Amino acid sequence: MDPISYLRENVGTVLFYGEQHFLVVLCAIALGSAISIGFALLVSMDAGSQRWSLDWIVGAVREGALVVTAAALTVPSLALLVLLLPLFGLGAATTVTALTIYSLYTVLRNSVAGLSSVDASVLESAKGLGMGRLRRLIWIQFPLAWPVILNGIRVATLIDVAIAAVAALVRGPGLGQLVLTGLSRYGAANAFNQVLVGTLGCLVVAAVFEIFYAVVERLTVPRGIRV
Amino acid sequence: MSETTTNPHGIAEGHPDQRPMIVLEGVSKTYPGQTIPAVAELDLAVPRGSIVMLVGPSGCGKTTTLKMMNRLIEPTTGRILLDGEDVTGVNADQLRRRIGYVIQQVGLFPHFTVGENIAVVPRMLGWDRQRIRQRVDELLELVGLHPREFRDRYPRQLSGGQQQRVGVARALAADPPVMLMDEPFGAIDPVTRERLHDEFLEIQRTVRKTICFVTHDLQEAIKLGDHIAIFTAGGRLAQYDTPEGILSRPANDFVAEFVGSGAAVRRLHLIALSTLDLDEIATGSSPTAAALVTVPLSGSVYDAVDAMLDAQTSVVAVVDDDGQAVGALRWNTLVEKLQLRGLHP
Amino acid sequence: MSVGGVPGLITVSRRRKGMRSYADLLSTPLIVLLGGAAVALWVSTRTLDDIEARALQPSAILSDLGQHLILTAYSTLFVIVIAVPLGILLSRKGARRIRNVVLAVGGFAQALPPYGVLVLIAFAPAPFGFNPFSVIMGLVAAALLPVLRNTVVGLRQVDPALIEAARGMGMSGRATLFRVELPLAVPVMMAGIRVALVLNVGTAVLATFVGGGGLGSLIVRAQTLNRPIVLVTAGAIVAALALMVDWLAGVAERLVRARTS
Repeated sequence: MDPISYLRENVGTVLFYGEQHFLVVLCAIALGSAISIGFALLVSMDAGSQRWSLDWIVGAVREGALVVTAAALTVPSLALLVLLLPLFGLGAATTVTALTIYSLYTVLRNSVAGLSSVDASVLESAKGLGMGRLRRLIWIQFPLAWPVILNGIRVATLIDVAIAAVAALVRGPGLGQLVLTGLSRYGAANAFNQVLVGTLGCLVVAAVFEIFYAVVERLTVPRGIRV
Repeated sequence: MSETTTNPHGIAEGHPDQRPMIVLEGVSKTYPGQTIPAVAELDLAVPRGSIVMLVGPSGCGKTTTLKMMNRLIEPTTGRILLDGEDVTGVNADQLRRRIGYVIQQVGLFPHFTVGENIAVVPRMLGWDRQRIRQRVDELLELVGLHPREFRDRYPRQLSGGQQQRVGVARALAADPPVMLMDEPFGAIDPVTRERLHDEFLEIQRTVRKTICFVTHDLQEAIKLGDHIAIFTAGGRLAQYDTPEGILSRPANDFVAEFVGSGAAVRRLHLIALSTLDLDEIATGSSPTAAALVTVPLSGSVYDAVDAMLDAQTSVVAVVDDDGQAVGALRWNTLVEKLQLRGLHP
Repeated sequence: MSVGGVPGLITVSRRRKGMRSYADLLSTPLIVLLGGAAVALWVSTRTLDDIEARALQPSAILSDLGQHLILTAYSTLFVIVIAVPLGILLSRKGARRIRNVVLAVGGFAQALPPYGVLVLIAFAPAPFGFNPFSVIMGLVAAALLPVLRNTVVGLRQVDPALIEAARGMGMSGRATLFRVELPLAVPVMMAGIRVALVLNVGTAVLATFVGGGGLGSLIVRAQTLNRPIVLVTAGAIVAALALMVDWLAGVAERLVRARTS
């Protein structure tokens, strides 16, 4: 059977796994972004204080977090998944946790870069007009950094969509299940089709995310800074 | 130490309206990790409703002085009084909402429209929408930008000169009594800058703010300032005087050198044509009035001389706002007139 | 603006000189050391039964490790051999249209799971199959894009004035490429190669599913034994290997960078 007719006959199953895949990545990205952006906001607040020691500590914490999350992204997915198994058991919890961890670095790095790249003169005039730290962060820094942050979320999503396929090896949900089934039925009818659909399905899930982010960007990036 | 109403520079005092708007008393700033102060024991009084220009070479502490006034930089020692109130201890953000602030890079918020940029401080002060809208339009008119055309534009859609007009409007939004300006026209091309200077003086005639203005350009200082404070390295005040005083009576060698050669020519800027006893335009003589080069009565002797040299002519006609000739100025009687004016100022 | 991706893909903003680079340099060994110590401590508090002891035999682990390193080395080598010349070709003036397509698709292709690619290639007819050759080809396919992309980006970001100066001095196109463009592009290319290396170490863990061996076998053995202690040890070893390989590549990258800039 060729892949197209396979897909036609099993559209329900494939959609089911695709939806699982999408949702598991969505959960992880939502969690990871919330953590990373929250943390970045905390450590990127335009200090403007003359408390150098505090600035230094905040800087060290920021760099430390980047180093640790970068290291986490280096750990092979299967290794991280099995390391999490004793804590979260087989299935979705481990998968979401691992994908969340993988999303941290990219979102964090873009958030820190975006927030710190806001033009110094803009911040100075905000301060000169009497905006407090928090207001500067919410009115000025965050909206101006948002396009860069959103791009980080986008890239993290692409990475997570690929990694999520491996989660099937710890009974995680998603399109990896199709690849795993196909692999275990090597030589049987449709085994190849299952692997093919499972693999390319990830690209379709990624495309859905891309469309989603394009819409979000359209709706949330202020007109004055849209390229 | 002196009382709050006295000031070290002999500017009139007594009645609250005569009290200086900004007073710096023994203000010093030493940056962390440095031993030499950027500003040392500075006393300065800025009279209400006047423009004081802070001038000096780079690194002289003029910008530091300006930024201490709205506490973007905290002074190490000394007191700063705003309208008689010691502001060294008050909430810095609240303080800054009472002080307009304009910087060279403008610093408009790129994700806000022109209108939203101007509305920032009123919004923080909790004005209602109607009042904010009215104020925005009023300010746009004031700085010469048509509200309907510019209100909803974004900063990147404006030229440099237009951006700085919006910057000034934004600083004026909540009608602060004091404006601090840090080389606001420094990054603007000479022709536009000249025009902005005139508009700025025009605006000041209406709003009568107390303005501190940092520049490194003595020419600009002479043109715009009611008083000029010349700083030397280390944040010391070399001379604090009227433009005329600086040009004609430099207090020391540093000021003399800073003013440089050509002080006499520059002083011509300060002599308005309206203060001279102009010659009559002889009718029937040649060249006739109609053919003469004209300068406006509101201009200075500098403008008249400039026009003469430019047209290589020895006589110019001075005209009023309606273009009517009110008199003539001749090359060979100019020095005589200046002498006369010197005797009867 | 394109900040993001796999670490090191676009490195210009991230790597700064000074304090940070030293902290960077020390942090990975520190993380590995601490993690390793924690796992070792945990293992030492438990008494291993026969099965566990056998699974964690050093000789078995070392043989898996050897296979793993060989797979990684070959695939990385092939990636370089294929992607660098291709990247040079794509960076030439005439290839603008294809280049843009490759760069655009390159980002999106990160979503293609290496796991699936590996299995697909193993399913292909001979000489592919469940053997090391298809594993290496699978690894190459999964890691090709970062090197390709960084080669193109590295060459394209060379200041055009320098190229013009070189041509103006009478250097041929070829001489300009080898003596001006490539040396200046090396740091960015190195960053891409480092990413590919790390990707390969990670993907090679999956090689065991298509008959390629490697440290993945250790994990699979642990999983089938259903002994958490073996599983965690296996995971920790693989993680430590990946971190150390990345660290070594980082050191190499820094040396190259120091020499060229």
